[in-house]
Amino acid sequence: MAPTREVFWNIPRLGVVIMYLLAFAAVAVCGYGVYQHYRTWRRGKPASRLTPVGPRLRAVVVHVLAHGRLLADRVAGIYHAALFWGFVFLFAGTLVVFVHQDLGLRIMQGPFYLYFQSAALDLMGLAAAVGVAAALVVRYGLGSPRLRRGILSDALVLWLFEGILVTGFLVEGLRIAGTRDPWGPWSPVGYGISGLIDAAAISEATIRLGHAGLWWLHFLLAMVFIAYIPFSKLFHLVLAPANVYLQPLVNPAAPGRIDFDKAERFGAAALGDLTWKDLFDLDVCTECGRCTAVCPATATGKPLSPMHVILDLREEMKRTGTGAAPGRVLAGDVIAPEALWACTTCMACMEACPVFIEHVPKIVEMRRHLVMEVAQMPDTMEDALRSLEARTHPFRGAGISRAAWAEGLAVKKLPRGDRAEWLLWVGCAAALHERNHATLRALVRVLDAAGMDVAILGDEETCTGDPARQMGNEYLFQTFARQNIETLDRYGVRKIVTLCPHCYNTFRHAYPELGGHYEVWHHTQVLARLVDEGRLALTGSAAATITFHDPCYLGRHNGEYDAPRHILQALPGARTREMAQSRQKSFCCGAGGGLYWMEDRTGQRINHVRTDHAVATGAEIVATACPFCTLMLEDGVKARGTSIRPMDVAELLERSLRGEHH
Amino acid sequence: MDIIVCLKQVVDPELPQTEFAIEPATGRQVREGRPLVISTYDENALEVALQLKDRGGGKVTVLTLGPQAVISDAFRLALAMGADEMVVVDDPRGPDRLGGEKAAILAAAIRRIGRFDLVLTGCESADWTERVVAPVLAEALSAACVTFVSRVEAADGTLMVRRMADEGFHRVEVRLPAVLSVASDESNRPRLPKLKDILAAKRKPVHVWPVADMPAAPGDLAAGVEVREVVIPQRTTRCEFLEGESAEQAAALAQRLRDLKLL
Amino acid sequence: MPGICVVATVPDAAAIPSSLELVGGARALDASHGAGVSAVLMGTGPGLREATDELHRHGVATVYRCAHPLLTSGQVDAFLLATEQVLRAATPQVVLIRADTVGRELAPRLAVRLGAALVTECVELAAENGAIVARRQTYGGRALATLVVTRRPAVLSVKPHSLEVPEPAPVPGRVEDVAVSIDADTLPARVCEVLREEAEVGLDDAQVVVSGGRGVGGPEGFALLKELAAVLGGAVGASRPPADEGWVPISWQIGQTGKTVRPALYIAVAISGATQHVAGMSGSRTIVAINRDPNAPIFSVAHLGIVGDYRAIVPPLVARIKELKGP
Repeated sequence: MAPTREVFWNIPRLGVVIMYLLAFAAVAVCGYGVYQHYRTWRRGKPASRLTPVGPRLRAVVVHVLAHGRLLADRVAGIYHAALFWGFVFLFAGTLVVFVHQDLGLRIMQGPFYLYFQSAALDLMGLAAAVGVAAALVVRYGLGSPRLRRGILSDALVLWLFEGILVTGFLVEGLRIAGTRDPWGPWSPVGYGISGLIDAAAISEATIRLGHAGLWWLHFLLAMVFIAYIPFSKLFHLVLAPANVYLQPLVNPAAPGRIDFDKAERFGAAALGDLTWKDLFDLDVCTECGRCTAVCPATATGKPLSPMHVILDLREEMKRTGTGAAPGRVLAGDVIAPEALWACTTCMACMEACPVFIEHVPKIVEMRRHLVMEVAQMPDTMEDALRSLEARTHPFRGAGISRAAWAEGLAVKKLPRGDRAEWLLWVGCAAALHERNHATLRALVRVLDAAGMDVAILGDEETCTGDPARQMGNEYLFQTFARQNIETLDRYGVRKIVTLCPHCYNTFRHAYPELGGHYEVWHHTQVLARLVDEGRLALTGSAAATITFHDPCYLGRHNGEYDAPRHILQALPGARTREMAQSRQKSFCCGAGGGLYWMEDRTGQRINHVRTDHAVATGAEIVATACPFCTLMLEDGVKARGTSIRPMDVAELLERSLRGEHH
Repeated sequence: MDIIVCLKQVVDPELPQTEFAIEPATGRQVREGRPLVISTYDENALEVALQLKDRGGGKVTVLTLGPQAVISDAFRLALAMGADEMVVVDDPRGPDRLGGEKAAILAAAIRRIGRFDLVLTGCESADWTERVVAPVLAEALSAACVTFVSRVEAADGTLMVRRMADEGFHRVEVRLPAVLSVASDESNRPRLPKLKDILAAKRKPVHVWPVADMPAAPGDLAAGVEVREVVIPQRTTRCEFLEGESAEQAAALAQRLRDLKLL
Repeated sequence: MPGICVVATVPDAAAIPSSLELVGGARALDASHGAGVSAVLMGTGPGLREATDELHRHGVATVYRCAHPLLTSGQVDAFLLATEQVLRAATPQVVLIRADTVGRELAPRLAVRLGAALVTECVELAAENGAIVARRQTYGGRALATLVVTRRPAVLSVKPHSLEVPEPAPVPGRVEDVAVSIDADTLPARVCEVLREEAEVGLDDAQVVVSGGRGVGGPEGFALLKELAAVLGGAVGASRPPADEGWVPISWQIGQTGKTVRPALYIAVAISGATQHVAGMSGSRTIVAINRDPNAPIFSVAHLGIVGDYRAIVPPLVARIKELKGP
């Protein structure tokens, strides 16, 4: 006889009928719940997230099957992987039973039965049980700072899962014992339990009674589990893989573009002003707290927790359902404006989120509402925007010359009639801040030494509009963007190198939507390439210990972590040390999201904390690649009274080029 | 209440000293290449007008004098903030006129606008700081006058205002029509316009009246006053250090402050 | 017939020396006119007599004296009626008015009523070939303008404390008591209440700002700075660190992310001079820096510098300023 087992051993026919009825009911409840959610998601505005299929599926493989981001937290990643794969196998096993019993395709037999349905399932079930136990221990025993306790549903879900697994093993053990199953040893856990039963010399009647009772318990728990899915965090079983698939593939930080000729509302006042994907996001959240754990605003005592932004929005979505109940104003009634204004748009939260929830675009959408509809924002940010309108840059009290830094250098200027292959887009934070003049001069000298043909726009350059965009004034941003595109096109600019990662990000992601298409490079990318091509004679010793601070808009926003490090490694004599929080996990300098222009008064200053990180490495120099980071770190160094020196990568490179010793 | 707010366009007063220049031949401030903004306190005056309108209804007209080509765009902000109409007296010489002369032209423009209950100006302009426009307008329009007003409340046909004074504050009851000059106060920080108002401002009426059409009003206080020169005091670029013991340094500093007429 | 008339008010005793500043200016102009100096003296109460004597003692030949209960604090409309009445009769060539709360409103209105030329906020006056040469600050103190007034009559307002109180030069004075009838009910603007606050001068409008930085060390240090500001009639400000540390209110912060000030005198105490701070104060006319570090960047924008500990410098400075200003 081919190895197999009787599916409904010890279960009377009537019981099987009842089972099917209950299963049908559980699936119906689940389906109803999903439909209710679906109706709430449909309140959102359109967003196209289904194609391209290839890269999206690849992301599912990496981040769902291989647990890419989940493993960023080693312990949690491993126990989640155990229970995830255990669940997948057991679910597959249940499907096998369904096919075997209900469809009548006798697949649950022979070697497949032994290797997969018995051995593999048993071991994977054990892994899942151990995984769930570990989850319980970490959450309730050891206590994890990011995981919340005292929430009934969290405990219920874990115990439910553990209950199903344990009753499953007990039922299996009783069946093996009761049927004297010759293939019992292929199910090691169940076989072990049956051994205990044998040893206890329990009567067959008792075994049958126990088996029947536990079988029903196991089954009912499973049905509760299914019915509970759409009403609990279990929903992520379905939604998380979907959300990985639906993730934004480019420019994840930016909310949708606004067409001001057609739009009647600007930004998100209510839930219906967000996209369906934004609403979908809310239901995906499992409250793991990874976003809040890495948020620089949370870490320094600001009134922002990215997870709570999502949860509070979800609460509002639950409360208003499909839109029958009157919605509240998101920015103000649901989320405190102070929380929205505390976001540096650094993307640490989105980079950490294992289920790819998009916090930042939602925050910016709500800021848009505050700025464009309500006209309320922090005073100092308002001053920056007013300055932007009046002076084409956000720095009150700054000079008017954008080329003062270039005095004495033979830099080509397009408005003077010069022509060049590359445009160096200087950026306000460099052109108008004396500290960064040194960086600009260094950069120009290096580019010149490598024989690159570069020109600047001089006084025809204006802000790219990015600060306005981050603060939520998309209208002002587009006004600047269109004007700049007009200027760039007038001079036939095709290739742009920017000093500032914010300008870089804007040219790369925001301008194409408005018709400005350029080949855009960040200065570290150009410099790394020049180093690679051997076009720079790095003769001077740079014998110093250097740690690199990743600018958010270069790293997380644009995935460039290597170019600046590549340059530092090429410096003769330089020793590099990484901060504990670097690359994808880098900690913001505090200036992003327009927060350079906000007085950071609550709790600690982000730049001071980041300075501490740099000092902790023991490095003499903290290298940066962003004029804002340089300014913020300079300020941090002054405040902390330490001797570490913030320097742009370009400055370090130029010193080595000049043969100057540190 | 119908309110007219006089706004002046000036070179950004927040530019650093290095960007501040005077043409030696004419005594004019160099405006070219410099951002032009609404003079500081004028925006506070506009905010006071808008708050009065918010509370009691009426109409707010903004009035400005200067070269129309550079003015109209920048002053859309005033319409976006909530003013109903704008009148530009197109005057290429506007920035160079003295306050008394300007006030006479503005008075003529206000008469042409017609009805008003209240005229508001900033308490002083960021450039010549003459502080004359409001009092001269009051005389020319036979209206009551209070200067350096930080708060305004409408009360039953009159206004109760708070005037900044050397000894503190005066609470002043003012009959209408009146001309007030407005100082900054936490209660009149200029509002940020909403986007729909910015978009709507593009459709609000802007009247451009050539300065030549303004009937020459009597009482031009600037006649017989001539600007001989405007100079930027030579600044020693190097800091002068006061030496000695602490007490000597302190005494030397006090003496220098006195010499500079700063005491 | 007197050529130059100063307008003096006696709402309180403090106004007398400041009116005497005008007398100094009038005498300087009169020397070339040879026409004598007169004064309109307005007020109420016994102070009037005393003030009359003071004016005579300082060379004012004729005092037109108006006594009325409404000629008191801030009643500009009353002062205007009285002055207009006197001056229409006296027809002086030049009228000097102190540009204080009342004067800055009175001068332009009076000029209109008298059909006079007007220059306000003068800091220097001189006679030159029959014309008056007046100097005044413009552009927030960044430039100095020279104006020539040829037309008569002329009303000139003078910025307080810009002219010296002259040495006494007694003349046999004449007093003309002028009866003015002012009906409170007809005044278009009427002062209902005077709120005498030992005015915390607002940073925005202060002509003197004393500002402290991280080196001040704590809130106690700012008490010292407040004392200095008080004797100078100015306001206290701060750079960012003291505001951050909570030593001073955030509203005191001067700099790129705080307020921008352009006073006549800016005293930076223990401020290093970061760009962020300098952006908010570099327009000040005279900048004084007190800092222990001779290499502090603040000295590159300062006109006068003292290298030293402010704790040792500010107290004698306050004492010396009090002496110089007199009782």
